[in-house]
This record gives sequence, C-alpha cells and structure tokens, in this order.
Amino acid sequence: MSTRDEILKAIQQNPLPLKSHPGEFKVFVPSTDLLGDFQASLKTVGAQFFNCKNEQEAQQALDGQYPAMTRYTSQEVVTRGLDLEDVEVLEIQGEFGVAENGAIWLRDDHLPHRVAPFICQHLVIHISQSALVGTMHEAYDRLEGSFADFGFFLSGPSKTADIEQSLVIGAHGARSLTVLVTNK
Amino acid sequence: MLNHAEASEQFIQDAERTTWHDETLWFVRSKRDKASKVIPEWEDLREHASQIKDHVLANLGQYLVEFEAKAKANGVHVHWAKDAEEHNQIVYDLVAKHGSKALVKSKSMLTEECHLNSFLTKKGVEVVDTDLGERIVQFRDEVPSHIVLPAIHLKKEDVGETFHQHLGTPKGNKDPQFLTEAARQHLRGYFLAADVAITGVNFAVAETGEFVVCTNEGNADMGAHLAKVHIACMGIEKLIPKRKDLGVFLRLLARSATGQLITTYSSHFAKPREGQEMHIVLVDNGRTRQLARPEFRNSLKCIRCAACFNTCPVYRRSGGHSYHQPVAGPIGSILAPNFDKKSNVDLPFASTLCGSCSNVCPVKINIHEQLWFWRQDLMKDGLAPAGKSLSMKGMAWVLSHPKIYRLAGAMGRFVVKNLPFLVNNSLNPWSKQREMPEAPKESFQSWYQSRKS
Repeated sequence: MSTRDEILKAIQQNPLPLKSHPGEFKVFVPSTDLLGDFQASLKTVGAQFFNCKNEQEAQQALDGQYPAMTRYTSQEVVTRGLDLEDVEVLEIQGEFGVAENGAIWLRDDHLPHRVAPFICQHLVIHISQSALVGTMHEAYDRLEGSFADFGFFLSGPSKTADIEQSLVIGAHGARSLTVLVTNK
Repeated sequence: MLNHAEASEQFIQDAERTTWHDETLWFVRSKRDKASKVIPEWEDLREHASQIKDHVLANLGQYLVEFEAKAKANGVHVHWAKDAEEHNQIVYDLVAKHGSKALVKSKSMLTEECHLNSFLTKKGVEVVDTDLGERIVQFRDEVPSHIVLPAIHLKKEDVGETFHQHLGTPKGNKDPQFLTEAARQHLRGYFLAADVAITGVNFAVAETGEFVVCTNEGNADMGAHLAKVHIACMGIEKLIPKRKDLGVFLRLLARSATGQLITTYSSHFAKPREGQEMHIVLVDNGRTRQLARPEFRNSLKCIRCAACFNTCPVYRRSGGHSYHQPVAGPIGSILAPNFDKKSNVDLPFASTLCGSCSNVCPVKINIHEQLWFWRQDLMKDGLAPAGKSLSMKGMAWVLSHPKIYRLAGAMGRFVVKNLPFLVNNSLNPWSKQREMPEAPKESFQSWYQSRKS
C-alpha cells in the first residue's frame, strides 16, 4: 500500500462524530471610516501614507520620499527574478486594501515578477480610494471567483524583532513602503 | 538529557536574565490582549475558528483528497510521508535530483519536528535558515527556544558576539538595527544563489489547492520566488476547507502571536511560476495516531501562534530549551507525549494547570485539561517519576481517611510553627527561593466547630 493510502486508511479507521462547517463569519462590525481606518492601520504597521488628489501630487510625494532614487515603473514581465536585484524603488498598482490591518492585495499577473515586491529596496503602491474594504472577511468576499497563480496580502515594510524584541524595519524584503491613495 | 525541572534549574541560575525573559514574553502577551480587544467579535472569531478546525478533523481524509486533486490540477507535485524519516528522504531526493548543495529554508516547525536540517547536513547539503531568529540559533548550533521568536532566550550582546564570530561584525556591536542589516546582506547572497527553497505552510486550502505562508521578514518569498524548486512541508492538520476561512484565521493568527494586526506578508501559493517546480509534502508523523485519541485530538487544531507560550508562567520562567522539544510550551507539552511518552514524561507536569493557555488559544484548544489527561495517562502506564507516584498514593490515602487527614493537618501546622527548619530546607522543592508561609492557628474545620457551639 502506498503511504498515501496508508494515511487515508488510518484516518478512516477512526470515524469521528460529524461536525458541520460553521459557515461564513457574519458577525463582524463594518468600518464607518474606511480611509481613516486604513490610514491608521498603515501607520501602525510602519508604512508611509499619502492621500493624493491627482497624479502630479503623487509624483511630488514620491520625489520627496525617495529623492535621487530610480523608480522602476515598468509592468512588463521579467523572466529572471535576479534581473531585478538592483531595483531601488518599485512602483506598482495594488488591487484593494483592507482597513482593519493595512493589508493590500497584490497578484503576480500585475507584477514584473513574483519576487519584484520582495527584492526591491523600497516599495510604492498606488491604490484607489474606492478599492478599500473593512475586514479580511470582506477582502475574501471580494476575492471570490478571482484566482491568482500567486497572490498575497502585504501590510507594511519587511520587519523583524528577532533581536531582543527590538523592532527593525527592513529585514529581507522592502525597507520602506509608501502607499498612495488616489480618488479614482 | 536533562528533564524539564533540571533544565529549568539551570535556566533560572541567572536571575536577572530570567526576569527579563519573563517580562519580555509577558509584554508580547499584553500586546496580544490589546490587539484582540480592538475587535468586538474576537470571542466569536475564536469560536468560529475552533468549529472550522473541528469540522476539518472530522473530515480530514476527504479534505486531504480534495486538496491533493486541486493542487495537482494547479501543476504542483504532492508527496505523502508517514513519518519524519520518509519526509526527510523525499526532501533529500528532490534536492539531490537537482544537484543542489545548498538550500534556503524559511521557518517550518514541521521540519524542526522531523530534524530535517541534521539529516540534510549529514548528506552533505548545506541548509541555510533564513528567518533572522533561526539563523542566529543555527549559527550557535542551538535549536529555536520559541516557535515564533526563535532567539528569545538570547540578549543582543549574545547575538552581537555570534555575528562577530560568523559574519565578522565589529566586536562589541550589539545594535539590533546594525546586526539585522548584516544578516540582510549575508542572507541576500544565499537567496540569489539558491536553487531550492523550503518553506513551511500556515494554511492549506482544500477548495483551491492553495497554501498560505505568513512571515514578517519576507524570507519565505525571497527564497521561493527565486529558486527553481520550491518545497513546502506541512502536517496533514494544516488543511482548511475554504478560502473564505482564511479571513477568520488571518485575523486571529498574528494578533494572537505578537499583537500585530496581520503578518507583513500572507502569501497564497497556487501554481508554480513559469519554469519552476513546486512540491508539497504532506506529513503524518503521528498525527493520525493523535486523531484517534478522543481526549487529545483537539491538539491538532493548533495554528502555531505561541500565545500559550507567552502567557505560561512556567514557560516564561523556564525558557524554551528546558522542554527539550522543537515545540516547547504548553502546546508542545501535549504534543510531545504522542511522539514518545517515555522521553517526554516530564512535560505534562511542567505546568501549574492555571488554564491561561486555554484562555488565550485562538482555536480554543483545552490545553490545560489535556495536560491533566496526559498526567493520568502517564501515571496509568507507570511512567511517572517514582517520587510522584508515591506521593500521589500517599496523598490519596490521607485524603480518603478523614481522621488521618485532620491529624496530618495538625502536624503540618505544628511543624511550620515550631520546627520551620523541617520544611524550609533543600529537601523540600517548594522552599527553594521562598519561605513557607505562616501556618494558621487552627484548621477551618475546628474554627467552624467552635463557631457552631
């Protein structure tokens, strides 16, 4: 018998009492101020936040944030992740944001390469104000029927507190995250 | 090997460090409280998560088959391993097939449980742990002392010295920012060069065949997205039925673990990237045995947040290494006897049974009750330490004879009052680092009798 069948047989040998799935979680409290909550969460997770009226304002904010750094904005697919090793600032579009924890959903078909938002030194995400949801439950509602080969929630810059619980921003991924919300 | 009490005795030799360890973990517990209280529906979330896990355990076979089919359809290779040995062999064969001599690995408690690192090292493969805390303990030839904070037993001076020896950082430099930067530079080289990346799995979704890996550092992603081969290792209990269930678990996990709103990265791997090979190893290693034990089945609901570690008065003051198991703390103490009762007989006794662990558990595992169940089980098997069996028998005898009980009480009060050296000595472990309290003048019973008359 294969290991697979052995394991499945071992499980079936002890049938457990039926327990039904509790269904969708419905009792959460909806946010009354998505933008305000999102901004507060981004602050908690160590990200920079700018609310920009237009593209010009966004560019000004970035010039101030990352002076004299090259910004990588191409969405063209890169086959070798290693080619992105020297990217200083990566600018990408986020699909939607979650107010309760500052998480932004990103998917690989909107990225030059899966490793891009990790290997870059700094990360900039543009997001539309209309693309905010309150909780993770609403986030997965929004993802229903949308399947990504690789997708992830990103909340803030890379961090660690593994040395004596001292928070250090910039572990292996991006050293900083700037989120630009526009009124699109 | 030292048992928990002996190892703890060594740990607490350094009183200042013990206090620091205790207070630091309590601080993490406090952050958990703060993060959970922001959510009015927190208790509903715990209950919901617990019920989802109950449902999974009751239908585990079906969900494993569904997950396997979906993952295969996504182009992922699925392997099954009945024990640690088979798991390690599967991983090694994959590494050998690709001719790799070095690989990067992000945090995976399963691979710790299977002792994968030492297995691969013996075969000539260099394993580089990429989580900062794990890399620190790997340099020191130690094991993680905490499943979320692997190097919590160390002070920054220790890390500075370790990095000075292994990475050539200036001697005496103990600045966390500087040391983290040194590790970033050091590990980036390995990320860029590795052909094989191993990650753990936090959740595997039967409905879609996806698996989710959560980190703060980004090390799992750096490894997996650059390597030609990604191997994800998971225990069979990591399954959840639906994608929407992730909403419940991702709200609970980081808040329970560190008091964060969510981990920085919650990565959903469904298909390998163009030209990449993706493998999942599904591991039993005693889980089906635990599933068949009604009183211990619940332990398989664990999502490895370590909230029970941070709150445990015994863990905080004895350190993770005293548990001599890859998973320490209260949850480790109920998982370990399933692997081997004999060598882990001390662990279910390493608890005050205060129940704080059960109160903070995000999936409502009755941890303290299971500790008590294990004690009974181990006593029944005659495995408990001789002193413990004898004193339990003595106690049972005294408690079942009221006259003797009253006499013993009177003797105890007399001794504590008149002959205190008989209890405040090194033969009585309760008198270590504390004086016995003053004895009451009379027993409750005699006070009650005198009041009645």
